[in-house]
Amino acid sequence: MLTDVESLIQATDGRYASDQELMFFQAYLTTVGTRLRAYQKIQAAEPQIIAQVMARLKAQKPDIFQIGGQDLAAKWQRDTVRVLRYSAIALLLDDPERFQENLLSWFQTIMRAFGAQESCGLTYEAMQTVITQFLNTEELKLFLPILELSRVTLGQ
Amino acid sequence: MVMTTETAHRLHQKFPKKHNHYALRDFFQFNGDYGTITDWNDTRNVLTSEDFIIGLLEGLQEEVGDASSAIMYTIGLEWGKIDSLQFEAWFEREFAMSPRRANLMFLLETWWWPYISQGWGRWEVDMSDRKQGFMFINLFDSAVARTLGDVGKPVCHLYAGLFAGFFTEMVRKQLSCIEIQCYSMGETYCKFLLGGRERIDAAAFWMNEGANARDIEKRLRAGEGGQ
Repeated sequence: MLTDVESLIQATDGRYASDQELMFFQAYLTTVGTRLRAYQKIQAAEPQIIAQVMARLKAQKPDIFQIGGQDLAAKWQRDTVRVLRYSAIALLLDDPERFQENLLSWFQTIMRAFGAQESCGLTYEAMQTVITQFLNTEELKLFLPILELSRVTLGQ
Repeated sequence: MVMTTETAHRLHQKFPKKHNHYALRDFFQFNGDYGTITDWNDTRNVLTSEDFIIGLLEGLQEEVGDASSAIMYTIGLEWGKIDSLQFEAWFEREFAMSPRRANLMFLLETWWWPYISQGWGRWEVDMSDRKQGFMFINLFDSAVARTLGDVGKPVCHLYAGLFAGFFTEMVRKQLSCIEIQCYSMGETYCKFLLGGRERIDAAAFWMNEGANARDIEKRLRAGEGGQ
């Protein structure tokens, strides 16, 4: 959304925007209520979402947080909370581009540096399942692509 | 460059522990009143155009001829050495940890991120031959090569020097670097070889004889080129 607004300002310098160019506003306005509700639900359910994702990962791969003799569960939790919060704001503002620029591009290189791609792939796959308990179909339609973006970017 | 209170990076002061600060709006602070640009680490930045890069390289070429590549390398080398000291200081501040204790790949990615924000290109470090005493760095979107276009020879001597200088200080061992493949040779990305001087000299000799990056990799992996 903010990225679209910036592009619009640049593209329409000194002239009126066309109907076509204003379409994203309409699209955003029709979904803003859903986005706000989903954002608030994610905010309220953050501890449960993280705990459930963690439990799923442990069930799937019991040693997932044991790397080099260290238990990295607390570090995983900090990282996952951060991605979830940035995902939520990307949902609210409908701005996956900004999410990519502000967090994912950097975080991808850091996760690669630690060889954590597999754990990231599993984390954001599990989160897509867990989140279905907290959001309704309409909200999921907007939020799942953002989680998928994290899975694809951080999982490779 | 000493920062005044007015030009010190405000977002950094507000969020000193924020690590994902490399987006344009986060990393740079435009001090309109002072006509300056401060980055996250309170270093002053200057915007330059491709014309500037061309002017620098062509001017140098005109002044010193073929020695211009050696001069660019030396500039890079000194820059890398100084930057490694600055990097150690800000890394320690930001992560409350000595760079010596950090995961090596994490350390290197952290060092390179400001360069990505500044437009020097993305990289990929290949450490698979580290135990043999050499490594490769792939650089995508070199600012120098992208500017000069296809000129049929390696042009990123500044980068080669930068890598040599930085890694020499970091590992406290004299290292050299050579660009063995360049976007300006019609390749899709640039490739640098980093290692001891004897090996880099051997690679330079092979290149003069017409070897390409793949030939050089093969010969080094076969144990040629000394230690």
